[in-house]
Amino acid sequence: MVNSIETRLPTGVKDFLPIKANKLEYLQTRLKDVFYRWGFRLVAPAPLEDLAVLELGLGEDLREKTFRFDDRQSGRLVAFPPDITPQVARIAATRMQELPLPFRLCYNGSVLRHAEQRLGKDRGIHQAGVELIGLDNPEADAEMIAMAIEGLQAVGANDFTIDIGQVEFLRGILDGLELPGPQAQAVRTAIAGKDLSSLQRMLETLPVTDRQKEELLALPRLFGGTETLERAAAAVSNDNSRRALDNLNQVLATLESYGVAEHITIDLGELRGFDYHTGIIFQGFLSGFGQAVCAGGRYDGLTARYGFPAPATGLTFSLLNLLFALDKALDERVAFGSDILLFSEATDMTPAHRLATALRTQGYTVARDINTKDRQESLAYARRMHFRNLLIIHQDATCLTLVNTADEGETSLDMSATLAGDLRL
Amino acid sequence: MSDFLTFALPKGRIMQDSMSLFGKIGITCPEMAESSRKLVFENREDKFRFMAVRAQDVPTYVEYGSADIGVVGKDTLLEQNRDLYEPLDLQFGYCRLVVAEPAELRRDDDPAGWSNIRIATKYPNVTERFFAEKGVQVELIKLYGSIELAPIVGLAERIVDLVSTGATMRENGLVEVETIADVTSRLIVNRASLKTKHRRITKLLEDLEQVIEDGPRISG
Repeated sequence: MVNSIETRLPTGVKDFLPIKANKLEYLQTRLKDVFYRWGFRLVAPAPLEDLAVLELGLGEDLREKTFRFDDRQSGRLVAFPPDITPQVARIAATRMQELPLPFRLCYNGSVLRHAEQRLGKDRGIHQAGVELIGLDNPEADAEMIAMAIEGLQAVGANDFTIDIGQVEFLRGILDGLELPGPQAQAVRTAIAGKDLSSLQRMLETLPVTDRQKEELLALPRLFGGTETLERAAAAVSNDNSRRALDNLNQVLATLESYGVAEHITIDLGELRGFDYHTGIIFQGFLSGFGQAVCAGGRYDGLTARYGFPAPATGLTFSLLNLLFALDKALDERVAFGSDILLFSEATDMTPAHRLATALRTQGYTVARDINTKDRQESLAYARRMHFRNLLIIHQDATCLTLVNTADEGETSLDMSATLAGDLRL
Repeated sequence: MSDFLTFALPKGRIMQDSMSLFGKIGITCPEMAESSRKLVFENREDKFRFMAVRAQDVPTYVEYGSADIGVVGKDTLLEQNRDLYEPLDLQFGYCRLVVAEPAELRRDDDPAGWSNIRIATKYPNVTERFFAEKGVQVELIKLYGSIELAPIVGLAERIVDLVSTGATMRENGLVEVETIADVTSRLIVNRASLKTKHRRITKLLEDLEQVIEDGPRISG
């Protein structure tokens, strides 16, 4: 039957039906467990913010993607947060400033962003992540990366890489350039695209020193395994970049002592988040999936925008990307559906209610089949709606039959024994 | 699956040029010579897979990770503005993206005085960006082919299109006004693939750089 009422959703947002919603919840639960194991505490930021306040913590890119509108109550502009990190920064800076640093905070929520109207570009984004506020040492950066690895393992990813960069390394090279805006932008675009050919051509005519040229031309190829750091050390001579490499080496040393260095790759030409981050940055990629599934890095300037200067680093998982990439693997990991559909042939419903209550107390998931007329109909319904078993109470209310919905295998049971806890599924 | 390196290549000439370039660095696909109806070809021994797709679809396959690597014209990349790495200019498929208009219009036309023009093109995004930077307002008419026809029948005074020799434009009485971009075929790489398959991809880039430098330079 075709429903004639128009019920379309705006593009870029989704409903999650049973099974998909179970998988999403599985990801959230497993990641939250990891966050708790590392001593992080949950915060739940407000779903709506004053635009002017929110914008203090947003980069140019996210400002443009923010859903904003008029608040009838106050006449001010309000906005749906496009990212949770600035909200946590605001909370830490304004509501928790009397408490001793560092703060280890975690969150799990969804945000809205304007996105290009293209397939697979979501506007409703589900995030789960952590913020570590008040520490500026490499061990804190390593903690985020180690947690990213543990999180990916916890949700069943096995073939993945965490790709690490350092924006101060790039700043050391780019800040020294004195190029007019459009040319500086063209150079950055070429670096971001690892477009060595265009960069070479551009630098032939730009006013840069030979040393700068050499450093710039190295950037598009400074990616790979941890041996990349040696190539980088040979390629740069400015102090800032060298300090950034020292910092990266310290982070790597910590990751080695955590025993997770095998998952690390390096990319020193990564410009993503350049305007927002202030040190180590990273992104997680699963083999065979085109987009990052988690990302994070240092953002020492953010809480200061809310009047509370503190070094900080963080990590966010993109749950929809994980859901898409791990869909098949999650089939095996996520239990969905329910244990028992309880169907009674007796006219008195009291035994059915007593049995349902007893089984629920024993820990089973049980629904009463209230409306079907016969056993076959009930079995068909149970199978279709993901009940693993149909439990039938016969006329006399003392004999039971358990039917496995997958293979229709039957087991006879006794009512009083089942009430007493004899059932094993 | 994922220990394969998958290429998305545009059907036709560019695919042939790409395969002959890859052949120079030892990447081959004997299966491709056998059948022409297939869309996916494999070299199982060396773990390479090649997909034949429409040129405009190459960036899509690569951006979403269905292919690790692609070969596509710079014109398509400029038009689609995708989130991809573009590490190498393969230096074949050379042509130019130009603004053109009928010769008789060109005689007393001053492009510096354009403020509101109508342009027919396959490249609306590139065209809009190019003229926006100059502060010129454009009315765009998107066409899918035979762009040169538009000025003849009065659909638009001017066009933005690719030219290689310029013969088609000349035959249709059009002259170039301005070059928007030089176009060659580019090697593009998916962001995740570059990280998760960095050894194979780095090797590929290094080998290609070698043979491209050795060969004759077409564009300057």
